[in-house]
Amino acid sequence: MTEHRDDSEMSRFDREGVRHFTARQSVIAVGIVAAILLVLSGNSILNAADEEIQGTEKTLLKAIGNPAATLADNPLADASGKLASNLSPDEALDPAASFPSSGSGTINQGQLPPVTPSYFDPVELDDKLPPKVPLESLLVTGDSLSQPLDTELARRLTPEGIEVTRDAHVGTGISNSTLVDWGQLSAAQVEKHHPQAVVVFIGANEGYPMPGPNGKDIPCCSPEWAAVYANRVRQVIDTYRQDGRAKVYWLTVPLPRDPARQRIASVVNQSVVVAAQPWRSQVRIIDTDEYFSPDDRYSDSITVDGNDQIVRESDGIHLNDAGSSLLADRLLDRIDLDFTR
Amino acid sequence: MLFPTIEFAIFFPVALALSWLLMPRQKLWKPYIIIASYVFYAAANPKFCLLLGGITIGNQIAAKLIEASPGERRRKWITGIAVAGNLALLGVFKYYSFFVQDWANLLEKFHLGAPAPLLTIALPIGVSFFTFQAITYVVDVKRGDAKTATTTDLAIYLSFFPHLIAGPIVRASEFLPQLKAPRDPNRVAVGAGLALVGIGLVKKVLIADYLARVLVDPVFGVPQAYAAPDALLAAYGYAVQIYCDFSGYTDIAIGLALLMGFIFPQNFNRPYRATGFRDFWRRWHMTLSRFLRDYVYIPLGGSHGTRLFTYRNLMVTMLLGGLWHGAAWTFVLWGGFQGAGLVAEHALNGRIGRRTPAWFRWFGTFNLVVLGWILFRSQSLEQFWDYIGRFFVAGPATLLTLPVLLSILVVIGAQLLPEKPMERLQIRIEQLNPMILAVALAFTILVVGATVPSQGVPPFIYFQF
Repeated sequence: MTEHRDDSEMSRFDREGVRHFTARQSVIAVGIVAAILLVLSGNSILNAADEEIQGTEKTLLKAIGNPAATLADNPLADASGKLASNLSPDEALDPAASFPSSGSGTINQGQLPPVTPSYFDPVELDDKLPPKVPLESLLVTGDSLSQPLDTELARRLTPEGIEVTRDAHVGTGISNSTLVDWGQLSAAQVEKHHPQAVVVFIGANEGYPMPGPNGKDIPCCSPEWAAVYANRVRQVIDTYRQDGRAKVYWLTVPLPRDPARQRIASVVNQSVVVAAQPWRSQVRIIDTDEYFSPDDRYSDSITVDGNDQIVRESDGIHLNDAGSSLLADRLLDRIDLDFTR
Repeated sequence: MLFPTIEFAIFFPVALALSWLLMPRQKLWKPYIIIASYVFYAAANPKFCLLLGGITIGNQIAAKLIEASPGERRRKWITGIAVAGNLALLGVFKYYSFFVQDWANLLEKFHLGAPAPLLTIALPIGVSFFTFQAITYVVDVKRGDAKTATTTDLAIYLSFFPHLIAGPIVRASEFLPQLKAPRDPNRVAVGAGLALVGIGLVKKVLIADYLARVLVDPVFGVPQAYAAPDALLAAYGYAVQIYCDFSGYTDIAIGLALLMGFIFPQNFNRPYRATGFRDFWRRWHMTLSRFLRDYVYIPLGGSHGTRLFTYRNLMVTMLLGGLWHGAAWTFVLWGGFQGAGLVAEHALNGRIGRRTPAWFRWFGTFNLVVLGWILFRSQSLEQFWDYIGRFFVAGPATLLTLPVLLSILVVIGAQLLPEKPMERLQIRIEQLNPMILAVALAFTILVVGATVPSQGVPPFIYFQF
């Protein structure tokens, strides 16, 4: 038998001075922790439930979260919440810029919106392009899809003197404002950075029910849901384009591996195209499937210059470093049609 | 399921109460704790429970065959096959995509036919830790360090939720004896458990995640945007981040296990006070170090041979240790860097120790470790050199703030304080009434929770390994 030294110090909790208690005290102590958290922050459980699309976890969190939120409806919890908000690293966002609580989607009767020249992308019309201006500032934002593309773009453009702001909000979605309201966030980003160009890559966390025109939640992915989603995207695009002073490069969601996600991605991408329609002269829709799923089928790898290359992460959703690098190439090609570097 | 989440905050009190309730009835407790651990694991991806179950059954069959084999030769063969099987599984899940791409690139250079399918395979969370524990089980059984466990005990050993995801890597011979009888309900280190959970949360969320957000991620993401002061600050910042992230996780895991009546081995012992590479590896991720020593370095022959033979063994062990951290060449090189440090130290054979003051050895070791962390954190060798290049670019310190500086100085400084008074302070905290500690822990969680950004707590760095 090999003699192990006690290199793990397994007996360190038996050393002199360490006080032992009973199992009952262990359970009661953890119970006290849980009780204090419930009384002072019970509503966090409901917030966690809102972050789930559906399933057992959401049902369970809701079942516990509802009574917990009632328990946390007290002055102590309010005071604790106020103190906590002072510690939050999140920026204060303007509530006035949030998405409407009931999704709009209708136009006034008898009023036809006029089609203007800004509905058309001059590149697609094969028209004369407006004169290019030097690119000085770029904002790269979105959910986890925007990483590591944001880093890739920053690495390439920063040495050229271009200010690249990376502002990924992992786990967020336009259809779910629990973590962040993209209406408010986009307004805050523009206010802070005034970017000349904005790259948006978002859509990995979509498919949440959203309130429709009558305030009632619409589940994904009907035309009604698509209309509400498109209206939210339209609000975000309108913010980013800054009355036509900035260009927006909106990347569609690459076809995911999971069939359930494929459906959501398809509706999201169609909604984005519709949403951007009034400003196609300023908003470029970059179809990622053109590169990563040219035959409309999901694949981990694609052929690049005759060589096969893995471009996706193992989750079947995100692009890996190689995929992001390829996408950055394509994106910069498109940016170069609008700007000089 | 991550420890610092609402889901775990709901799961643990229930799991703990039921555990102590059923503890006296072992026939009920054992299936219960397996189910609880599998529920915990299934929260990440239910499909991976099949893998965990498969590894348990496969290694139990191997252990039983070893036990029943009369000859040493046959026992060796079965152990070898079991270890190879575990490593093959780890290889498929962890390294397939990494090697297949490089292999494909190489073959295509020589126009040599079609490589294996270019697929990305999802990495089951914790696979590196539970396969290593499975290896310690079959090897310990073969060596006679552990007896063959019942399948139920083995399932508990491999799946026990406090250490399932990211260790510490507990030896079979350390854990299985704790399952022989119910844990003593009158000897629970509640104070130590609660204190460790609180300290772990502060390390992870308040220090590691904060430094990552405001300093480390921006600079390592685009080093070109920063000059020498920021690059230096972020390098030290990452040293603090990775220590607080991983040791914070370990503190929580050990604390939770203590509340349930179980003891895990120590995993960190103030690593940044090390005065040499060997000293560093006796203090950093100690359960991995001793795994590499006992299951790689010593079987390779250890230091029982010529100097060159010992150096080879050190290098092989550390290169494998580097590769264990992830499927990337930067990790392999980092392992090589650590191995070279150990070899150099061995070659000088204490001569440095006799001639140089301790503070100088500490200073040299610490800065070499930090240099190694830059390689560890870099996505590629190119990025590593980009980063190093920034040390030679003059410019302002744009990310230097008081909280950043304090976080770095306090964490490193605390490790340099004399050990005895620190230990006495720790014992005094652990002796406090658990109810007082519980209230303190609840308020710590509230404060720590308030500093979490809207996107939630980022995963522990070692989850990806």
